Amino acid sequence: MTVALRRSGIGSPGLTRAVAGAALGGAIGAGGLLAASSLGIRAEPGQLLGLGYLFALFGFLLGIGAFRFWLTWATARPINAEEEHAWHGTAGDWRRYFRFTTDHKVIGVQYLVTAFALFVTAGSAAMLMRFELAQPGLAFDKEVYNTTMSTHGAMMITVALVSIIGGLGNYLVPIMVGARDMAFPKANALSYWMLPLAVLLVAINPLLGGFDSGWTAYPPLSQQANLGQQAYIMAFVTVGFSSILSSINFLTTVFRMRAPGMSLMRMPILVWALTVTATLGLIATSVVAGAFTMLLFDRVLGTSFFRATRGGDVILFQHLFWFYSHPAVYIMAVPGLGAILEIVPVFARKPLFAYPLAVLAFVMIGVLSFMVWAHHMFVSGMATFFHIPIMLTTELISVPTGVVFLTALGTIWMGRIHFKTPMLWVFGFLWAFLIGGITGVYLADVPTDIVLSDTFFVVAHFHYTIIGATIYGLFAGTYYWFPKITGRMYDERLGKIHFWWFTIAFNLTFLPMFWLGIEGMRRRVADYPTELGPVNLFVSLMAFNIALSVAVFLYNMVRSWQHGPRAEANPWNAQTLEWQTSSPPPIENFEHIPVVTGTPYRYGSPPISASPSPVPAPAPGHPQP
Amino acid sequence: MSAEALARHDAGGVVGDPEAEKGNMLFGVKLGIASEVMLFGALFAAYFVIRADSGSWPPEGFGGERPEILLPGLNTLLLVSSSVTMQLGVWAVQRSGGRHLLRWLGATIVLGLAFLSIQAYEYANNGFGLRDGTFGSIFYTLTGFHGFHVLVGLAFIAIVANRARVGLVSPAHHTAVEAASYYWHFVDVVWLFLFSTLYVL
Amino acid sequence: MSARRHLLIAVAAWGVLSAASMALVAGISAMPEIASHEAAIEDRTFTVLTVVSMPVLWLVVVGMAYSAWRFRAREGDGDGPPLHGHRTLQAGWLIVTFIMVIGLFVYGTIGLVEIRGAQTADFEVQVHAKQWAWEFHYANGTESNELHIPINRRVHLTFQSDDVIHSMWLPALGVKQDVVPGRTTEAYTTPTVAGTYGGRCAELCGFGHTDMIMTFVVEDEAAVNAWLSTLPPQEHAQ
Ligand code: HEA
Ligand code: HEA
Ligand code: CUA
Ligand SMILES: [Cu+2]
Repeated sequence: MTVALRRSGIGSPGLTRAVAGAALGGAIGAGGLLAASSLGIRAEPGQLLGLGYLFALFGFLLGIGAFRFWLTWATARPINAEEEHAWHGTAGDWRRYFRFTTDHKVIGVQYLVTAFALFVTAGSAAMLMRFELAQPGLAFDKEVYNTTMSTHGAMMITVALVSIIGGLGNYLVPIMVGARDMAFPKANALSYWMLPLAVLLVAINPLLGGFDSGWTAYPPLSQQANLGQQAYIMAFVTVGFSSILSSINFLTTVFRMRAPGMSLMRMPILVWALTVTATLGLIATSVVAGAFTMLLFDRVLGTSFFRATRGGDVILFQHLFWFYSHPAVYIMAVPGLGAILEIVPVFARKPLFAYPLAVLAFVMIGVLSFMVWAHHMFVSGMATFFHIPIMLTTELISVPTGVVFLTALGTIWMGRIHFKTPMLWVFGFLWAFLIGGITGVYLADVPTDIVLSDTFFVVAHFHYTIIGATIYGLFAGTYYWFPKITGRMYDERLGKIHFWWFTIAFNLTFLPMFWLGIEGMRRRVADYPTELGPVNLFVSLMAFNIALSVAVFLYNMVRSWQHGPRAEANPWNAQTLEWQTSSPPPIENFEHIPVVTGTPYRYGSPPISASPSPVPAPAPGHPQP
Repeated sequence: MSAEALARHDAGGVVGDPEAEKGNMLFGVKLGIASEVMLFGALFAAYFVIRADSGSWPPEGFGGERPEILLPGLNTLLLVSSSVTMQLGVWAVQRSGGRHLLRWLGATIVLGLAFLSIQAYEYANNGFGLRDGTFGSIFYTLTGFHGFHVLVGLAFIAIVANRARVGLVSPAHHTAVEAASYYWHFVDVVWLFLFSTLYVL
Repeated sequence: MSARRHLLIAVAAWGVLSAASMALVAGISAMPEIASHEAAIEDRTFTVLTVVSMPVLWLVVVGMAYSAWRFRAREGDGDGPPLHGHRTLQAGWLIVTFIMVIGLFVYGTIGLVEIRGAQTADFEVQVHAKQWAWEFHYANGTESNELHIPINRRVHLTFQSDDVIHSMWLPALGVKQDVVPGRTTEAYTTPTVAGTYGGRCAELCGFGHTDMIMTFVVEDEAAVNAWLSTLPPQEHAQ
């Protein structure tokens, strides 16, 4: 019976089953509550949505097969090792990308593709916003604008949070430290499969009435708003859980599964960056999950944490939110910085300059980022004396962040620079993140922040930092590791067109926003004073150019993946471990786990970074646990 | 390198090495607990901020009474002893070959269930609800989150006990027992904080 | 070319560009309107920050541009020199950035204390914000939807909101302060230039946030009092 079902395809876990499970779960959750309400308990729409979503999420995960292992384990049934092993997927089988596959390389690609899909969706929302803002007056409804803006922010934040660590990180970290997979492959797949439904929930929020609070979701506004608001809150908590789970996975992999000889100070700088990122994710995320849960309870269960009229504290939410969300901006930036620093030495053909200092800088960024959150609240009305230490710590973060620039500049200085596409993005990063960072210092200074807070100056600042670090890092990394991931080369000419077009359009979009902000243009408004019209029109036109340049990128990726020339194992002549195995790597990454004897940045000296183990070892088997 | 060491090395720490897998699992559980600590940290922060905001505690205009200390005090005893029985279970499997493991796990479960029943009784007789101002919010959210963790912990222990029953736990193979014990001790410690802030202070 | 020559040229370029641009931006006043003591402090801080940023900006830009120009790999080039670090340079970089940051912090703190410091006032206004309008309550018990404040007097604004968070932004006066339900927030300002200016709500407060704009008047005290006396007395005190 089970076999027959399995043959037919419906009986085996997969996307079809997952969708069915989600539908069924949603129906049970919401329907159960409705049935209860017919018995006299009043069910509010928010509660229906909440319970429905929770059950749908479980149904989805059950259907995709996320709990197969744990259910077997929990019921003390024998675990079929062969079947479990099959969850790695078969190399070359495209269907594994749509399944609960435990191979970290598949999961990396899933994250990466999902992130780009989200980027295009959220970017399209930005295009709508720029359409509205192109001219003073209203092109469409203000409600539509606010919902579009909030959705853009929420989705882009998700992109920035998961794309590099989830995508490139999952793909690369186990290989870079010389492991066969992540420490917990099944939890890893679970982290990924928690995302689709959450993302979908954000995407459909306009159907639920939209939400107009921005990504920051400050109460009491977020308590008044529509069901769309609740969709965002629940999705945010889901993404948070997924990110905690994957942080645990990263940290365990890095601290416990390195190949012999891979001491901490021999780890590639990207691995260090992601280690710091995962630590931030692990510690900070549950705080915001707590805050959003309280917000959700206020909305659906009638608590009064943030209800000023009933003794709650409105500012408390902001403290909890920023206690996470400031570290979160480093969760977004640090992976980008790591990717950039990984690429610099390869194309400058010089060792990474001041590697130990760069490691220390990442760690210090991580530590300091927990002490600066209140710089988002300089005009919120918190006690004046508290501004002073926060101003100090915020400005101090410039010192370790500046080290990244020292390292990059020190590496390219006197180097032999090859301007391949990834290296162009490195140079673009240096410029963009510099502008973003310096303008951050303007905001960190209270007297100037009073003027600039909540204006387009802030908007320009964070697009320069997030796009500068995360998106430039993501593009650089995607080009750089494209041959490794796909086994094919991308088109260099299109890559360069993408870079120049994007960089020029990006700068011409966001540089004028600093000026707009100084002139008094507020953020989160659909309309503005007439005299700012011409500049806004220019900004909008340039923004449309960003989209066109991204279209070139997408075309290049899709086409090269199918038809690009085959890539060698190590086309860049790089020294980190991932380039010492085939492109793409085999299912468990290495034929033999390498023994590491030096740092991966020995350019200019004979490479000794990785040597295969001297004695051939038995073929990797899969003994039962 | 010996052939055996090489083989283990080639497994890359993922498959086939129970020692490494056990270490990974316990490391992961500790990290998970760290993150849970921050979750309760956020809730406690909310508690202290809101309490500092309102002049008196419970705040003025709060209809109900602050819960008595007797039952929660009893609950503290129950939970602390359950932590002890849990640890005895771990030692049983580590040191004396698992002879009394089931007995200790059973005791832990009974104590945990007693805790939850008393808590349920308290909820039913408190005379105030979740919607009764900030005191109600914070009280039920904190104890509710904690109670949920107790429930999850009990489920975990029950599963482990069942596996032990069918012979899947042995001195060489008891990662889950240890993981459950970490979690259970954590739940216990959170309760101590909860008890001292919500009921005593 | 020797390593030292490269460094000399780059440093010279950096020095010239920094000095020239610092001289250039030192004279610029960024804020479009400056009509109060506080706004002047904020504008001055902005200028100082811009001046200090110039050498940082040019350091990175010159480093990038010079490298792109002179250190481009040529046909047949091998690897670059195996340089793993440079102790003096690293220490120097850390020390210099640290000193700059501390300098900016001290300067910012002085500005902050000047703005928020003196808690005395000659003129009191209570501001009530709601979705989506402003209401002003004056010390003589009158109420209006218009804000009139005296020039050259220290004005104390206190803010309250019953619905959601708003933020009162008076750009010309350099005042921006969130209006938070459940608590009273405040701001001080000393207007120095008479005139009629625009004000707006700076914190997202719902669909009407865009339209939550106002104008306010700075005039001499006699004029303010004259205007106040035309207002009907408030019916119910809050
Ligand atoms: C990737 C994301 C990212 C990064 C890396 C940063 C980095 C920084 N940010 Fe930014 N920020 C955001 C994303 C980011 N930010 C977002 C999303 C918001 C808006 C949130 C919202 O409200 O929606 C925001 C808002 C924001 C505010 C609040 C503004 C307001 O709402 O009023 C402040 C205030 O202090 C601030 C400061 C800073 C500072 C000081 C840094 C520093 O880390 C920058 C450090 C870097 C440098 C300074 C450059 C390199 C250094 C050198 C070359 C050394 C020498 C330099 C000097 C001596 C100056 N940011
Ligand atoms: C990762 C972070 C990220 C990224 C990459 C972007 C990218 C962009 N952002 Fe975004 N933005 C945020 C994060 C980000 N943003 C956040 C957090 C907010 C704050 C929200 C809040 O206040 O709560 C914000 C707010 C924000 C505002 C301010 C809204 C307001 O306050 O009123 C504006 C206004 O111009 C804007 C514009 C843009 C533009 C033009 C891009 C462009 O770079 C996007 C370009 C990309 C694409 C367009 C995708 C490519 C698409 C295709 C190739 C398909 C072709 C499609 C079409 C032609 C439609 N953003
Ligand atoms: Cu009121 Cu925005
Ligand atoms: Cu911040």
